[in-house]
Amino acid sequence: MLETRGLCKNFGALEVAREVNFRLELGARHALIGPNGAGKTTFVNLLTGVLAPSRGSILLEGEDVTALAQAKRVKRGIARTFQINQLFRGLTVQENVCIAVSERLGVGGAMLRSAGQRADVLAEAARLIEMLKLGNDTGRRIIELPYGRQRLVEIAIALGLSPRVLLLDEPAAGIPSAETHILLDAIATLPKDIAVLIIAHDMDRVFRFAERITVLVSGAVFAEGTPQEIAANREVRAVYLGSALDA
Amino acid sequence: MSPAPDALQRRHRFQWWELLPWATGLAMFFAFPNYLSFGTQLLVTILFALSLDLVLGYAGIVTLGHAAFFCVGAYTVGILAQQLGWNEPLSGLVAAGLAAGIVGLISGFVLLRTHGLTLLMVTLCTMTLLEQAANMGHAWTGGFDGMPGLSFTMILGLFPFDVLYFKSQYLYSLSVLALGFVVVRTLVYSSFGQSLTGIRENLLRMHAVGAPVRGRLIVAYGISAALAGVAGGLFTQVTGYVNLAVLGLERAAGVMIILILGGHGRLYGAFVGAVAYLVLEHLLAKAYPTAWQLGLGLTLVAVALFARGGLIGLFEKLRGAR
Repeated sequence: MLETRGLCKNFGALEVAREVNFRLELGARHALIGPNGAGKTTFVNLLTGVLAPSRGSILLEGEDVTALAQAKRVKRGIARTFQINQLFRGLTVQENVCIAVSERLGVGGAMLRSAGQRADVLAEAARLIEMLKLGNDTGRRIIELPYGRQRLVEIAIALGLSPRVLLLDEPAAGIPSAETHILLDAIATLPKDIAVLIIAHDMDRVFRFAERITVLVSGAVFAEGTPQEIAANREVRAVYLGSALDA
Repeated sequence: MSPAPDALQRRHRFQWWELLPWATGLAMFFAFPNYLSFGTQLLVTILFALSLDLVLGYAGIVTLGHAAFFCVGAYTVGILAQQLGWNEPLSGLVAAGLAAGIVGLISGFVLLRTHGLTLLMVTLCTMTLLEQAANMGHAWTGGFDGMPGLSFTMILGLFPFDVLYFKSQYLYSLSVLALGFVVVRTLVYSSFGQSLTGIRENLLRMHAVGAPVRGRLIVAYGISAALAGVAGGLFTQVTGYVNLAVLGLERAAGVMIILILGGHGRLYGAFVGAVAYLVLEHLLAKAYPTAWQLGLGLTLVAVALFARGGLIGLFEKLRGAR
């Protein structure tokens, strides 16, 4: 589905991605873990086109998308959430989700009809808002919402793009533990043909969610395998997991 | 105060109070027949401010060079009338809008690669370059003296331009403003307008939802330029002259001050701001003839500190606090 071959990214002498060979299979539930500064978010930025790689290639369903702009990759089905919320803070929850849905349906540039008359956009936005239990916040501006609720809007926007590949960068960060089930339920109900890559620090959540895990250290793939294989890998434990699993 | 949950579905519908500016405009025609020249200038200024609001208030493009498009429209009408004998007013306005729109699209393609302070500077430079070009193209533009004494045929073949009392000019300007307003209102409530607001609010997120951000900004810039061009063309028609003053920094900064005073990104901010600006200018100039701009500056500082949404924003805040 999504593949990288020898992906490298340098900022001057600093190598933040080193020969990353990675495969995200159709319908995968894949986790990307690693210590702080391992290059996880940089990797997502490379996949989505926010950053251009120094070397290597990115393939989506066998087609080279390395040179494609971010917007065009979104149209091909790659959507993401951000580690730190990137929302339209002065707009309502409904407007936030509608903007994403409008772009997906190709009506984002329509000038003659009011956004409030787009029944298809409004219905899809309402479905996603309900799915993420944001119904009571539909008309509230983002700045009026607690951070945890804002995280859910971030997910709703990504889902509004109907992605085939969904990249979730620390999706549960900032969501109160009592509400994380909303997020997990939403992910669990995603169609099986959507490939999901999740970056998370909560090992318990990673091991429950992921069918496959890639460990990134210093910008390079350190290990990859099933959760059981990663948990049993002594080097991974030494580098990263030790304290988390022992606890 | 939060909007109602169904605010998005309802906001494009006309509200009763939206008739107020137009009713006031018509009332002015009957109540102050001796001030219609001033009123006409006010209407042209509102149209110009409305065009800037589309890019500044909705798309978040901070520009100081919008007067360039006003100038293109003004000179298009002037050159057509004086050099080519094309004096029909409505088609003149269409030509002004088209010329300014094309200049807007081309300049937007280049200028909108930058943003923030850089954009502010390059738009200002563009305006200065255009001013020099207009000055040097004496044979076509009249150079520093401009083109005085322009005359135009009757509006729709029925209403002659009234050089003494501005009656026709006033109603003509009010009609053009109403048309321009409908265009802007339709745009800002459309999905296109919503995406412009998205770009203003969070550029990174707009890229991440797959929006062709640059293309949208260029289109918005072009439409806004066309409207500014219509305002410029209207200015030339109603005054019967055009000169380099249409390109002054005072006009460029003045229209921005109007939006800051009235409230940018609020549709009616241009109306409220233009009236507030001109009233303020009048009162301050009367009280302190040599230092009235100081008062204007202090008012702007106060608005920037305490009423970021301008007068309309202040009104909304007070209404929300009740």
